[in-house]
Amino acid sequence: MPRSRRSRRTLTLVVLVVLSLSIISLDLNGRTHSITSGVKSVANGVYSPLRNTVVDVLSPIGDFFAGAVHYRSLQSENQQLQAIVGQLREKADEKQFENVELRNLMALQNLRFLDALPTVTAETQEINASNFTLTITIDKGRADGVDVGMAVVGAGGLVGQIIQSFHHTAVVRLITDGQSKVGVTFGPADDLTGTVDGQGPGSPMTADLVPTHTPLHKGEPMYTSSLDGAAFPRGIPVARVKEFHAAAGATQETVTVTPIANLTQLAYVDVVIWEPPA
Amino acid sequence: MSTRAALRVALVTLLLLLAQTTVILWIRFHGLHPDIVWLLPITAALLDGPETGALVGFGSGLAFDLVLPTPLGLGALVGCLLGYAVGMSTAAVDRRAAWLKPVAALIGCVGADMLFAVLGAIFGQQQMVQVDFLSLFVVVAVSSVILVFPVSRLMRWALQTEGDRRALVSAHSPEGGRW
Repeated sequence: MPRSRRSRRTLTLVVLVVLSLSIISLDLNGRTHSITSGVKSVANGVYSPLRNTVVDVLSPIGDFFAGAVHYRSLQSENQQLQAIVGQLREKADEKQFENVELRNLMALQNLRFLDALPTVTAETQEINASNFTLTITIDKGRADGVDVGMAVVGAGGLVGQIIQSFHHTAVVRLITDGQSKVGVTFGPADDLTGTVDGQGPGSPMTADLVPTHTPLHKGEPMYTSSLDGAAFPRGIPVARVKEFHAAAGATQETVTVTPIANLTQLAYVDVVIWEPPA
Repeated sequence: MSTRAALRVALVTLLLLLAQTTVILWIRFHGLHPDIVWLLPITAALLDGPETGALVGFGSGLAFDLVLPTPLGLGALVGCLLGYAVGMSTAAVDRRAAWLKPVAALIGCVGADMLFAVLGAIFGQQQMVQVDFLSLFVVVAVSSVILVFPVSRLMRWALQTEGDRRALVSAHSPEGGRW
């Protein structure tokens, strides 16, 4: 093999690697992230209609192979009913949270409950598009007021947070994703705090920063934090305590929790139009 | 690679991107789906060597990065390394060997997924190493061994030169004695 040809190959690879690393740096750098985010937004604006057309064409074939003539409409109806059940469950859990607050004679007029906040209902387009992240893609974006950082609720509680917002679509990181951290409050006086951390697919979520001897009980609900500067509006049901124990000498309880929202029923979700106070 | 070939490769990439984000997402095992993006640099490298493999891997990886919620550029980095590695490691092998495509697809796709996860974690995406790798490798290995053949046909069409095309047409024309 001629030496010049080998050199050219090596040079091509080096250039491509450097280019890739530069793009990654731009994407991960907070100051230049807006550039890559803009490029992704344009690409999604072009790609989404194409993808939706393909889905519209292929869905009937898929439904046919699913084996039922009315499968699609029944599935849609079932998903809508599941969403309604989830909303009712969410409201019931919020009531419980409200009662705790009342019992502690807190000034209700200063609290911000979810039902007082505007929401945008969105339909889920994709679930876990990558094997390496737990995300959903919804059919609402910046044009509908959906922006990065907003909370997404549905199917009984907190579903996740918007991590990418494009013109007509947005990507939601689910609370079970390994990168997800949600500040929570719990306990009879709503004065105990912790963080609910996602542990990735197949692994149970955990509640961290819970000191030993914290009074916990199985099934206890945890709500988005009422602390100042929290990333979510307060009072959204997040998770229930599943198991807890303290290892000898540990300073924290080991707490396993399960999400309150039914994350297998995410055909429709609500985006809470709320941004943390500056 | 000529401009026409580059355009055809772009078209094939778009086709696979549409398949990946629609049909492929419906095929799930333990919640995991096949990753067909890696088949593009693998087949390009088998057909036209490491340089083309790296270029196709970079382009197709970047295209997938644009529509997937992973760091932009990560797929491009893994894609170009994969294309180059496959091209170099098979340089001394008879590329017409029947076993080469499935073996290259299996090893290449599993290795690329592993590299993608590790590099993602290095770049701060810790959740990328929290997947069930055994199930992922089974899904990716089986699907890539099956899908490498149709993808290879598409890539062969995309990378063929005008000379190849003329030779193909003349071979199938009445004068070529094949009709």
